[in-house]
Amino acid sequence: MQLIKLLINGKEYEVAVKKNWTLLYVLREVLDFTGTKCGCNTNDCGACKVLIDGEAVNSCVVLAHKAEGKNIITIEGIAEGSKLHPIQEAFIETGAVQCGFCTPGMIITTKALLDQNPSPSRDEIVQALDNNLCRCTGYVKIVEAIELAAKRLRGEA
Amino acid sequence: MKNKKLVYVGNNRPIRDAALKVTGQLQYTADMKFPHMLYAKMLFSPVAHAKIKKIDTSKAEALPGVKAVVTYKNSPRIPYNSSMRFYEHKIPETEYLFDDTVRFVGDRVAAVAAESLEIAEKAIRLIEVEYEELPAVFDPEEALKEGAPEIHPGGNKVAEIKTEAGNVEEALAQADYVFEDRITVPAIHHCAIETHVAIATYDSRGKLTVYSPNQNTFAFRIIISKVLEMPMSKVRVVRPAIGGAFGGKLEAVIEPVVALLAKMTGRPVKMELNRRESIVSTRTRHAGVFYIKSGVNKDGTLVAQDFRVILNTGAYATSALNVSGAMSHKVFKVYKTKHMRFTATPVYTNTPIAGAMRGYGSPQAFAAQQIHLNRVAKALNMDFVDFQLKNLVEPDGVDPRFNSPHGNPRPLDCVTKGAEAFNWASRPKTEEQGRFKRGIGMAIGSHGNGCFGAHRDVTAMVLKMNEDGTATLFTGTHDMGNGTVTAETQVIGEILGIDPENIECIEADTEATPWNLGDYASRGVFVSCNAAKKVAESVRREILKEAAQLLEVPVEELDLVGGYAVSTKDPEKKATLCDVIVHGQRVNQREIIGAETFASPAGVTSYGAHFAEVEVDTETGKVKVLDYVAVHDVGKAINPMYVEGQIEGAVQMGIGYALTEGLELDEKGKVTNNSFKKYHMLKASEMPRMQVLLVEEGEEPGPFGAKSIGECSTVPSAPAVVNAVSNALGIDFKDLPLKPERILKAIQVQK
Ligand code: FES
Ligand code: FES
Repeated sequence: MQLIKLLINGKEYEVAVKKNWTLLYVLREVLDFTGTKCGCNTNDCGACKVLIDGEAVNSCVVLAHKAEGKNIITIEGIAEGSKLHPIQEAFIETGAVQCGFCTPGMIITTKALLDQNPSPSRDEIVQALDNNLCRCTGYVKIVEAIELAAKRLRGEA
Repeated sequence: MKNKKLVYVGNNRPIRDAALKVTGQLQYTADMKFPHMLYAKMLFSPVAHAKIKKIDTSKAEALPGVKAVVTYKNSPRIPYNSSMRFYEHKIPETEYLFDDTVRFVGDRVAAVAAESLEIAEKAIRLIEVEYEELPAVFDPEEALKEGAPEIHPGGNKVAEIKTEAGNVEEALAQADYVFEDRITVPAIHHCAIETHVAIATYDSRGKLTVYSPNQNTFAFRIIISKVLEMPMSKVRVVRPAIGGAFGGKLEAVIEPVVALLAKMTGRPVKMELNRRESIVSTRTRHAGVFYIKSGVNKDGTLVAQDFRVILNTGAYATSALNVSGAMSHKVFKVYKTKHMRFTATPVYTNTPIAGAMRGYGSPQAFAAQQIHLNRVAKALNMDFVDFQLKNLVEPDGVDPRFNSPHGNPRPLDCVTKGAEAFNWASRPKTEEQGRFKRGIGMAIGSHGNGCFGAHRDVTAMVLKMNEDGTATLFTGTHDMGNGTVTAETQVIGEILGIDPENIECIEADTEATPWNLGDYASRGVFVSCNAAKKVAESVRREILKEAAQLLEVPVEELDLVGGYAVSTKDPEKKATLCDVIVHGQRVNQREIIGAETFASPAGVTSYGAHFAEVEVDTETGKVKVLDYVAVHDVGKAINPMYVEGQIEGAVQMGIGYALTEGLELDEKGKVTNNSFKKYHMLKASEMPRMQVLLVEEGEEPGPFGAKSIGECSTVPSAPAVVNAVSNALGIDFKDLPLKPERILKAIQVQK
């Protein structure tokens, strides 16, 4: 075990981790950030995405100790208290949420995308989702949600 | 109530728990933890068919932190069927918690519960098993042959199910032409992003509670109480949120084992399958081999059709009979043809277990039928849309077997509307640009609405009013993210004149909600929303009684609108629901509560027509679906936004079925594409432009005219895409999925 410090949603956590523990494991099993989901544990589904220094990353393939000193944002850190983020609102309103298991990962991906590119084209949105699987929605309303969120964040809707 | 303008039914409404899902607050089973919880891990068979000659668990047991190890040697030996649905359900019982024989790569051998997952994983590796391998068979047609390895006593044929109308032989003999095809469809994985997971707790009173994301809490209770020999009052099954199911969570796959481990240890036990285990060791869609024969006349009239299907149920029976039975009925619901026969033979093989999956037999049957008919129409030189228009049932159509009306079937409307939206008539049928070839294709499909005719089909519900005029619903519906419970609140809101937002719901818990047959067979809207309507009407009557007394107006004069009881004669005379409920409590000292049981009175059918344009890269064999139109006859959309969502998701699944999915086995019976990396489900970038249209002509017995969509929506999808590829290349593909290798090979043969 090794004692590390993780900066998660603006707060510092000191945790004892084993060398092979992934960030996903530590988030879910040690620190109870269960909003981040596990759909494969093999870097293939995106359900476990978190923001690390602004990039959407699959936390199931990041070793926890490697995330030390980085700025980690999980789905729990997207809303401000009980005030939802416009991306979250857009996902709700457009019907982009069905079973919801892919949703945290989708929202994290969207956040990273829109922070870097406030006016993505449809193609850019779809490319950004390349590592996020959803079995419920056919991605149609997810893409709509992202378009709506982008518009609102630009102050256009 | 008649002809009243609908206020909530027909609205676009986000799913009730959406805010919890977008914030990560919703607790799925894997997110739950109990004090002193143990972690469980299963040992799965590495061989396809073997007798367990020796199994030594001593090293695993000796490992510090291990609390229980179970194998066939120390577990109850009670046969069961994991797809049992109700108490006296008679289906083959071929499963045991653990057996001394393993029947596919991925079969259960042992399980461990330990203080941590790491210890459990280590313990699993310490179990020493000696297998005496038996001959194995993976192909269902091979499995039927004489001398094939016998997987269960009595042979590999589970049953033969036959149903027919008219005189097929005679009609075939008289037809102008007879066409025959052999078409095969693969086993596919449900791909719910949440894998199978369950937690069981067992307390010192002898009470077992099982938390699992499942579609049938009441049936799971029956199965668990049976295999663990516990009274039902001591078994509680709770469904926390479900992270996708699609039929894959309808059967009790891991729950009985987790329950056993909790009972043995007296501690909470959690088991979470990983993706590989979910792909290999849970359930799949039934693979099948279809032999179809059609008799058609020169003018394109389909006069007779004969189906013979060999279905691969895998190593155990589970849903074999239910799925073959369901499948055999669907094809009688779509064409005017009077002479039809369907013979289904489910067969055991040493492959992963097939079970329930979205569409429950319809995707296979319609894939085969529509691929076949596309070829038939081509051979007749007839446009496939014209062929459909000539043969599809009219709204007054009947099932030729019983001469019973279909209800209000609208496949014709679906085809007409879809063909128009897709510009079917004016679009080029094929186009070629260098190595890229484009083509269009279409297909129709149908699916049922509940289990009427097969067995009981009942949903019960309780609804009670709160003092402020809001309400609480107790519903056994297992919402899988498809929005059934949201739809229930819309129906109730409509009847009570209250905003659905103000109805709280307690869902699927054998001890907190009334009985429900389970969420399968597309019962959600047609049966359970009907139950919601019935219980709301009963509560409405009680509210009106109180209101009549409070307002001193006759009951008949009252209506419930916008949170008020109001006189239809004198709108000045009104009271808030709060006043009415409080009046009931204060004056008559009573609670306004309703409990109703709804039994489905009819078996109606939902229809759809899908149109696809594809582009095939003849150099790589890759297919891209470019454009898509899906039209569905849903009677009435209670929540159009979620009806669309169902269809859009179903198309993702259908295109996958046509092109990229399908379990692959090596020569030893091991699934080779056992990860999301290798099992290719469609990504966002692979989805076509899509237009979804609804036909809302009402289905009389449905709640506000509504009927099912979730399963039906995936049925026409794969054949529409396959037909488009066939048309693009001028090759008739008969085996799914059309992976690049298969396409390249066919192009080579063509040359
Ligand atoms: S859980 Fe990390 S990518 Fe699937
Ligand atoms: S909403 Fe269910 S997986 Fe995306």
